[in-house]
Amino acid sequence: MLKRLKNSLRLSALQGVVLPVLLLLLWDYLSRQGAAFAYAFVPVIDIWHSLLELLTNGELLTNLLATLQTAMVGLVIGGSLGLMVGGLMGISRTVDKIIGPLYHTVRQVPLLGWIPLIGLWFGNGLTSKVLIVCLAAFYPMVLNTYEGMRHVEKQYIEVGQVLKFTRWQIFIHVLMPASLPSIITGVMHALAFAWISTVGSELLFSTGPGLGGLMQTAQSASRMDIVVLCVASIGVTGFIMNYGFSRLSRHLLRWRNVR
Amino acid sequence: MANKLFSTAFFQERVPLFISPLLLLGGWAWVCQAGIFPEQILVSPLRVYEAAAELWNSGDLQMHLQHSLSRLAFGFCAGSLLGLVFGVLMGLFKPVAQYCSPLFNAIRQVPTIAFIPMLILIFGVEETFKIVVVAKAAFFPVSLAAYDAVKGIPRSYFEVARVYQLPARYLITRIILPATVPPVLTGLRLSLGRSWMVLVAAELLAADSGIGQMMELGRQMFRIDIVMVGVFITGLVGFVLDRGFRTLEGHLVKWKYR
Repeated sequence: MLKRLKNSLRLSALQGVVLPVLLLLLWDYLSRQGAAFAYAFVPVIDIWHSLLELLTNGELLTNLLATLQTAMVGLVIGGSLGLMVGGLMGISRTVDKIIGPLYHTVRQVPLLGWIPLIGLWFGNGLTSKVLIVCLAAFYPMVLNTYEGMRHVEKQYIEVGQVLKFTRWQIFIHVLMPASLPSIITGVMHALAFAWISTVGSELLFSTGPGLGGLMQTAQSASRMDIVVLCVASIGVTGFIMNYGFSRLSRHLLRWRNVR
Repeated sequence: MANKLFSTAFFQERVPLFISPLLLLGGWAWVCQAGIFPEQILVSPLRVYEAAAELWNSGDLQMHLQHSLSRLAFGFCAGSLLGLVFGVLMGLFKPVAQYCSPLFNAIRQVPTIAFIPMLILIFGVEETFKIVVVAKAAFFPVSLAAYDAVKGIPRSYFEVARVYQLPARYLITRIILPATVPPVLTGLRLSLGRSWMVLVAAELLAADSGIGQMMELGRQMFRIDIVMVGVFITGLVGFVLDRGFRTLEGHLVKWKYR
């Protein structure tokens, strides 16, 4: 039984490898088809050499850390603002009526559509990038906090009122814990959007260190090897952050008795 | 009808929706009037309107909009159609999922925007690259939604179909379609929004026409009024696409809520 399970596991892992390997072979094959192809498709071995080079001179790490820093600063600022605004909208009908329509109007503009305007106002530097990331983290946090607070069971609040809780106590002891799962989902979305928008804003404001900037420079120098490595690092880092956070959220929400 | 339109319920429901955006507009106009910021930083709403009218009359705005929308349409249709087929195949046939899912999930981890430089190197900065980028953005949400939807069909439905020896076409029209349509529509709506954002980004980076290029040119010439027209138009297009799709969704899956 165990042996069969092991075998089937190994088999499915092998099956999953087939397609990437084929793709890699195709890539390598295309890179040998004359100068026109070699322009875009660099041989796999060259990518490997560039990886070693970028790792040893620390360029990859420096840029990765810069990107991570931008993403985190934006996430923290934008996320906490979003939490506040969403929380206020969730508690108070008046705030909801005032801010809600404004929020939904502004949200219609695609995130990266703000870039030319923000570039004109704040230049091409770190401020503009962080601002875009803040915005990216802000939207999902507001939405999920608001939804979480709104969907708290009415009975819970009534119990609080029966027990003569003050509004503050209801907020801390009833609304917050009840909407925590939704808020954590919001953080998860905010994290993903912050990462995407950091890369996007670095591509468009290609000054300063960062994976996006590195990629943009490599593209204008037609260094496909570096571009590929940047794409891979962006993907891997995004995956690790996502995975780490979902593990963390499961740990934080272990008190819930669903599933 | 007219009575209903102006009833108090209408005012209570609808009017508050406009208060804060109008206040913002008023505040913006006032700040410009007061001259707190120089012209190069902030132009009045009136100037933005004039710029929009000027662009419209010269036909530039229509041209840019048409180019952007046709790219969106081509890329979105190609990407979502492929995504739908792929998602359904992955959901129905285990081997397809086993062979494809690791690669699928690996590529899914990378934001579409990050692929732009790579695609520029492969396809050049012409139309192909923009359509491929949009298609890539549309592909993943749709295929994921289709895959989840097909996977979500209880196994017993298929067993019943097998017991009754249901022909394949009925299997598709009676079981697979009704189960997959609602989530796939949601996936389509999500991917439409993402495609639009990615297209604007791609046009900002490399294009000779389109709303994004119009904004980028405005930025380079310090024409903040044109940039603001662009921001407004991208928002409007995003809104119309989303709202239109929601309406469509409501009509198509009416049976679900009956």
